[in-house]
Amino acid sequence: MIAAILRAQFLSMRWGRGKGSVFRFVPLTIWYLFWLAAAVFAFVLAREANLASLRLDLAIGFLGVTVYWQFMPMLSASMGMGLDLRKLRIYPAVHRELFLVEVLLCFATAVEMLLVIAGGVAGLLANKEAGGWALAPRILAPALILILFNALLASGTRSLLGRLLARRKIREVVILITTCLWMTPRIFMQLHIHPKWLGPVEQALRGPVFPWSAAAAAALGDWTPFLTLGVWLLAALWFGRSQFERNLHYDAIAAQAMVVRKDASRRRSVGEAFFALPRLLWRDPLAAIVEKELRSLVRTPRFRMVFVMGFTFGILVWLPVVAGGAGAQHPAGSSYFLVFVCIYALTMLGPVTYWNCFGFDRAAALFYFAAPQPISQVLIGKNIAAMVFVYLDVTILSAVVGSFHLTAGWGQVAETLLVVGICAVYMLGLGNMSSVNYPRPLNPENVSRGGTSGRSQGLLLLFYPVALLPVFLAYLARWALNSELAFLVVLAIAAVIGGVVYWIGLDSAVIAARAKREQLFTALTQSEGPIASE
Amino acid sequence: MPEPAIVARELRKGYGSKLAVDGLNLEVPRGSFFGFLGPNGAGKSTTIRMLTGLIPQDSGSIEILGYKLPEQELEIKRRIGLVPDESFLFDRLTGMEFLEFAGRMYGLPRATAVERAHGLMHLFELADDGKIIGEYSKGMRKRVAMAAALIHHPDLFLMDEPFEGVDAVGARLMKDILLDQVRRGATIFLTSHVLEVVERLCDRVAIIDHGRIVMCGSMEELRAGGASLEDAFVRIVGADRQMERLDWL
Repeated sequence: MIAAILRAQFLSMRWGRGKGSVFRFVPLTIWYLFWLAAAVFAFVLAREANLASLRLDLAIGFLGVTVYWQFMPMLSASMGMGLDLRKLRIYPAVHRELFLVEVLLCFATAVEMLLVIAGGVAGLLANKEAGGWALAPRILAPALILILFNALLASGTRSLLGRLLARRKIREVVILITTCLWMTPRIFMQLHIHPKWLGPVEQALRGPVFPWSAAAAAALGDWTPFLTLGVWLLAALWFGRSQFERNLHYDAIAAQAMVVRKDASRRRSVGEAFFALPRLLWRDPLAAIVEKELRSLVRTPRFRMVFVMGFTFGILVWLPVVAGGAGAQHPAGSSYFLVFVCIYALTMLGPVTYWNCFGFDRAAALFYFAAPQPISQVLIGKNIAAMVFVYLDVTILSAVVGSFHLTAGWGQVAETLLVVGICAVYMLGLGNMSSVNYPRPLNPENVSRGGTSGRSQGLLLLFYPVALLPVFLAYLARWALNSELAFLVVLAIAAVIGGVVYWIGLDSAVIAARAKREQLFTALTQSEGPIASE
Repeated sequence: MPEPAIVARELRKGYGSKLAVDGLNLEVPRGSFFGFLGPNGAGKSTTIRMLTGLIPQDSGSIEILGYKLPEQELEIKRRIGLVPDESFLFDRLTGMEFLEFAGRMYGLPRATAVERAHGLMHLFELADDGKIIGEYSKGMRKRVAMAAALIHHPDLFLMDEPFEGVDAVGARLMKDILLDQVRRGATIFLTSHVLEVVERLCDRVAIIDHGRIVMCGSMEELRAGGASLEDAFVRIVGADRQMERLDWL
């Protein structure tokens, strides 16, 4: 049965090769080169360290591996590859075998951690003080047990999160709490906050009862921690298996059922006022398209989650830097903080809006081609809707940053609005071309999967520097000439060129949409094999 | 005599080395209820997509309601109502919201679109209960799709399997509405695998096989000799053969 599933998956993927795989290869190579460097670093550290520091550092390293393995899929909103149980549930498959495939797929989610562990273990083998090659089985065994523990735990976590994130109203809260949990230690460190309760927590985390500490102790010669590791492994197996079983019997559609309120509540009237805004500013069909996009995106779980991430991630990632010691050392970083986080939000929203603007429409994109409106109107309407959400994120960020007194007042807010707008014009122009040439269907219900196509992901590496370069040049002019006027002049030139880029991109996208509409429909109606990825 | 609603001449469309539509000639009179039949993969959906300008033909000419494709594509789109085989409904809108959106996209003022959407929701027995289309049953989705095709009061309807997945009550309702449209002078071009439906509704029929029209005429001509539409269809597409049996089945 496992062979049949893997073969069906392989056959489903065969049409995805070609140019798309080449483009996907570029970001993947860069990503894994980075982690290869981390593995080499782990190797050097483990080889050079003495036994005393290894006892502490190895436990911290293993803790880091566990935290990354379990949290990173949540933070990236990409749970990696997993079985599509809706498709497999109809077959009389043995659950144990399905679970085995699911656990094996968890290894694919954290290849970077396997690289780092391999580097660290190789370093230990090369370190005579730690036992070297003579004690290879003793060093390898705990590492392998820790890897298996993580895979089982990740499988259970993914099943649990899959169900939690499928529940309306809970998913955004889950992602917000997870993000805060992930960022809190960093904020504490950067702000030099050391609450009293943190010491005991740190001590406890290093205690021998935890799997990372047990694995470190076992790798360095103790035998009793193997017992601890065994207990944790069994617990992870129970957790993973039980969560998997619950997923098998879970009715995601019922959990996601959504009814748009028809009562005349205040919330509804506020919502309707928001949706009615396009009617006040534009005429049909543009107003109808923008309104439709606003309504659809607001009700799309995947989009809502990214929108929340747009204003939380930036702050949580950059706030400790500018508010802490680094901020004091680099005041320039603090003064550009709002611009940083807003551009970060703009890029976050890209994959669910302008880079792949027909993604959530899927087969319904056909409607735009059947309706008697030029496709340029549709693209402009979608761009406007994307910008509404970008500026909503910017407004929230400005308010939060303002409350931390990290802006230089309204002038900086105005500058941010301008800069984000100019960057967005470039990105929208390039995004329209990407949306038409490399469309990919997105499941609006599935919060953990989706985004741009492989080709788009590769192109993003090229597009982002191109889109951000003009604004960067404006800041460079301000810094080099120490002149506000120079900054504004370069920014104005960037805006004009951006306008040209936008219209060229739009024209090009319209021509491509006409020429490639069949490929566009085909791409937007494609479904995946038994293993859903990303 | 009014010009035909649809005129297609030597229409060709290929996918790689396979010709999905191979020199198709078709004339659909105005005001007719036209059934377009064919076995699976015969080229029905490809033809409908070419007639609506959704995909370009490789060669040949198309005239819809006197307008030429692709030169007068927007004029044609304004006058046709399309119910495609695949769902083209936006899942995150409610039925009411989608109909209003469709009306506005077809150039209706918002107030008219809203008024007509309300009327159509009522006519198609769709509750405006705030449920989004993503949670509609297949039959309800088909009703919404047909309502959207009607909202701008088109002269020509192109429908690909409009009754697929619709229950008997819904199908009856949809058939009555379509017959009303023909009575007012609209033309309906319909594909369906349910031959009884075609037999009951259509006055003219064309059968396509391997991308070519193999028969085109009135229902009476097709059923000459007292055969049912199903018998005639099976005979014409050459599927009248003994079923093979598998030993293990």
